[in-house]
Amino acid sequence: MSVIYGIMDVMLPFEFMRYMFMKNALLAILLVTPLFGMLGTMAVDNKMAFFSDALGHSALTGIALGVVLGMPNQMAAMLIFGILWAILITFVRHHSKMSADTIISVFSSTSIALGLVILSRGGAFAKYSSVLVGDVLSVTQEDLLALLVTLIVTAACWLLLFNPLMITSVNASLARSRGIHARLTEYAFTVLVAVSVMMSIRWVGVMLINSLLILPAAASRNVARNAAGYMRLSVLISLVCGITGLVLSYYLNTSAGAAIVLVCAAAYFVTLPFRRK
Amino acid sequence: MKKGCFLITALLVLLAVCCPCAAQDDDMVIVTSFYPMYVFARNVANGIPGVTVVNMADQNVGCLHDYQLQTRDMVTLETADVLIVNGGGMEQFMDKIAQSYGELTVITAGEGIDMLESAHSGHEHDHDHSDEEGCLLNAHVWLDPALAQQEIRSIADGLIKADPEHADAYEANACAYMERIAALDGEIRTLLAPYAGEKIITFHEAFTYFANAYGLEVAGLIEHDSGEEPGTRDLANTCDLVRELGIGALFVEPQYPQKAASTIARETGASVYQLDPVVSGDGEMDSYERAMRENARVFAEAFGK
Repeated sequence: MSVIYGIMDVMLPFEFMRYMFMKNALLAILLVTPLFGMLGTMAVDNKMAFFSDALGHSALTGIALGVVLGMPNQMAAMLIFGILWAILITFVRHHSKMSADTIISVFSSTSIALGLVILSRGGAFAKYSSVLVGDVLSVTQEDLLALLVTLIVTAACWLLLFNPLMITSVNASLARSRGIHARLTEYAFTVLVAVSVMMSIRWVGVMLINSLLILPAAASRNVARNAAGYMRLSVLISLVCGITGLVLSYYLNTSAGAAIVLVCAAAYFVTLPFRRK
Repeated sequence: MKKGCFLITALLVLLAVCCPCAAQDDDMVIVTSFYPMYVFARNVANGIPGVTVVNMADQNVGCLHDYQLQTRDMVTLETADVLIVNGGGMEQFMDKIAQSYGELTVITAGEGIDMLESAHSGHEHDHDHSDEEGCLLNAHVWLDPALAQQEIRSIADGLIKADPEHADAYEANACAYMERIAALDGEIRTLLAPYAGEKIITFHEAFTYFANAYGLEVAGLIEHDSGEEPGTRDLANTCDLVRELGIGALFVEPQYPQKAASTIARETGASVYQLDPVVSGDGEMDSYERAMRENARVFAEAFGK
């Protein structure tokens, strides 16, 4: 770890890099943003923006359940609940005639209300409210390791899933004729999103996590000309916006997460005029 | 947060409709707005037949900064004869109470205490600790035992006025309690005397009064409200300050998120100590004294290193 810090000291001789927490935050951004840039493309293509939002909200219930069950590490509770919740939403979506946005909204509001009811018993909510905004500046070295593992696992799954998902999202019957199990692919993808969201929600926060997933992909879609370029650009945009946001938050003295999302939003609006009809 | 409280309120409306209110009787019911007022009032009203003290907010609620009146509180207030509040903007819901219960006798314990200006003043907040002029105050006066005695005096005076029948008992209780607090004050003073002038960094303005009372200096204050991320630059500047002044201890309060404190601690090698702002506890008669003794011990331990 000290090797990495040493390299950063040499390569980034800026005032703000003197602080350990800024180094850690930068590393976290380098790990989280490509992940989200990658998954975001598919979430945008498959009209799942609202779905990932619902997943973010379910983190609150996950924590609440962890607290109720007396689990020492709420991370595990969040992760398990997030995965189950994602599978459940997808399942109900497939087996109900109601439109997807209604179903997702039902799940989203249920989970946030349940989380609030449990966590605010006795007014103790203030203690957990930090998960609503998150704080990338409080990332520790152990957290970075966990993020690194998540990135590697997700990227590996992504490589396996990319083609089947792509074909499914373009043409479901074509996918079936190729022997691709569309449902299974979709479940795998939702689980992947759930894991990524839960692993990074403590640093990004319930309220902002979805923007990190959707905005870079949306911006990239404005200008990209083909599928591969679309994804590469999305990863690039989220990386650049993440770093820019962090640095800006230092000079403007704002919270880091919000600054990053604002830069992502700016990227979207800047690319909007270039959108091809 | 607001959205959440709305949900809770809606739930509680349902509950309140289901459960009929307790039958009223001729007893004197004193309702207190939050924990320190509850402990003070319990001591002043101790052992007087027919007088009960009820705390309004759930005792696990911290400072009332973000508190929204719950339906349960409204039910409690329905039976109240007297309401004791801290004042200084701590109870932001007072205007609502004044609207619904105009007739209710309100005792403002912090009345007449010259409160400090709040660190919030520089910031824009949609919910403010404001007095009539709109200036923000730091209302955590009960953490200075001398000011706590003043609050107890005000509570006793108010109760004597509202319930003259038991005037002697209130007076005797208040005097005995204030003597105990005065003894506590002396005890803490002796314990912390060697550390006068020590610089401290806190994460909530509650302990400014304590620091002023015992000659400690608040060098830095990172207001890290629930649901608020600290500014990146603020965090960096505080780290510099901690290094510059050679501060070895950061003081946090258990009711608030401690991420900023642990980030600064990791950055600078300072240790994090927990203080008790006496806003929650077991509600025993001596809980204020116990909590304050423990706070003094924590300070002594932190400086003694």
